[in-house]
Amino acid sequence: MNDLQAVLWVARKDLLQEARSKAVTVATVFFSAVTLGVLAFAFGENPLLMREGAMGALWVALAFAGVISAAQSWQADLEDGALETLLTWPLPRAAVYLGKLLANWGLMTTLGLLLLPIAGGLYGATLGPGWPLLLAVIAAGTLGFALIAVFYAGLTANLRARESLLPVLMFPVVVPILLAAVRASNAIAGPGDLDLAWAWLRLLVGFDLVYAVVCLTLFRFVVEA
Amino acid sequence: MIDAAARLRRPLWLRVYLGVTLVLFVAAAAFGLLFSPRDVNQGDLIRIMYAHVSVAWIGFVAVGLTAVFGALYLWRGKRRWDVLAVASAEMGLFFAALTIIGGMTYSRPTLNTFWTWDAKLTLTAIMVALMVGYFVVRGLIDDPVRRGRVSAVVAIVAAASLPFNYLAAEWFRTLHPAKSVALDGSGVTMDPTMLRVLLFNTAVAGLIYLGFMLDRVRLGRIEAELEDERMAVATAPTPGKEVVRV
Repeated sequence: MNDLQAVLWVARKDLLQEARSKAVTVATVFFSAVTLGVLAFAFGENPLLMREGAMGALWVALAFAGVISAAQSWQADLEDGALETLLTWPLPRAAVYLGKLLANWGLMTTLGLLLLPIAGGLYGATLGPGWPLLLAVIAAGTLGFALIAVFYAGLTANLRARESLLPVLMFPVVVPILLAAVRASNAIAGPGDLDLAWAWLRLLVGFDLVYAVVCLTLFRFVVEA
Repeated sequence: MIDAAARLRRPLWLRVYLGVTLVLFVAAAAFGLLFSPRDVNQGDLIRIMYAHVSVAWIGFVAVGLTAVFGALYLWRGKRRWDVLAVASAEMGLFFAALTIIGGMTYSRPTLNTFWTWDAKLTLTAIMVALMVGYFVVRGLIDDPVRRGRVSAVVAIVAAASLPFNYLAAEWFRTLHPAKSVALDGSGVTMDPTMLRVLLFNTAVAGLIYLGFMLDRVRLGRIEAELEDERMAVATAPTPGKEVVRV
């Protein structure tokens, strides 16, 4: 089995597990729906505020859902020593990370695509002619978020108080990704300023690349038994 | 068994060093308060800047060095790099917190607000959060090897994220006074006396950092030895032998 196959097998395992347990799906879909609802109440009846806050609300919902999803993907492996078994396989540690990353990214992007029309409709925002670019922003933003979330979820998987520790550790690191994603989304959905959106998207992809290199390099120190 | 009481006492050279640093610190404060000219726009408020900017610079150096020591620990696996990393992290958190307090003191009268979502402020706040996370992680892991490794990873990712946090926040919006000293060597837009006072204050802040580092590393070594001894006792108990706990 070569490394690429290994990555795909780990991703397949995680997605299969999710398809059977639906633990992440149930938690994240309802949680993000509630988040969008609560934020809509917080914005009040000001339609302008609602429209401008739509993309911000979308990313808040995605961010919290992403933490749940990343934590769960390690949590499930802690049972019955599944993680130890996985790590004793003759695979590079990075393959385990990349596999989990792939599965998480897939789940988050799907959730993002699901939430996008809901947020648009609920907050009265128009997506404008730049909507294909918005899909790219969601893909790049969730990738960056999943890179950090899966990395830190692996780091905290064996620690006490991991549920509360994971957001504390990862959110300061993930700020640039979220900031760039929200700005790019706002530029598209609000004034339709595609040049500005491109600039933020390029920055976002740059962040993704750097975090990918850092996380891949350091991951073997995170789970080393 | 370690004679902890005798070793806990600071050696003479370190006491002399810390004393000299204290004198220099008073001198630096005096330079800022007495000798510096008043600023054209800010008047006497510019005097806060000497304490604020110097502390901020050294704070960033401390956090950066934490990551460097962490990387050396991952590379070499020697305990002393971990001891250095913790010492530097403590100073980094301390200086970053001081930077925020100093910055708020400075910004209330000059910019008429305690807090703006400016790039440097946001960055420093994030840095405090990152360093707090570093210590929380350390506190949760008992095995020293694993603790050193995981916290080194946290420190490296934290330091790596700082430039991007700065970049993103600067693009976001900024209200902070523009840099008067460009780090690319393109020039300095500051009164020469003011610059000398600032550089002197920065040097003294650096000496304070070094002094605390020396002392903290000294204590960290004792801490590490005690911990190793306790681990050895816990894993292989020898009956009939007294264990001294300090």
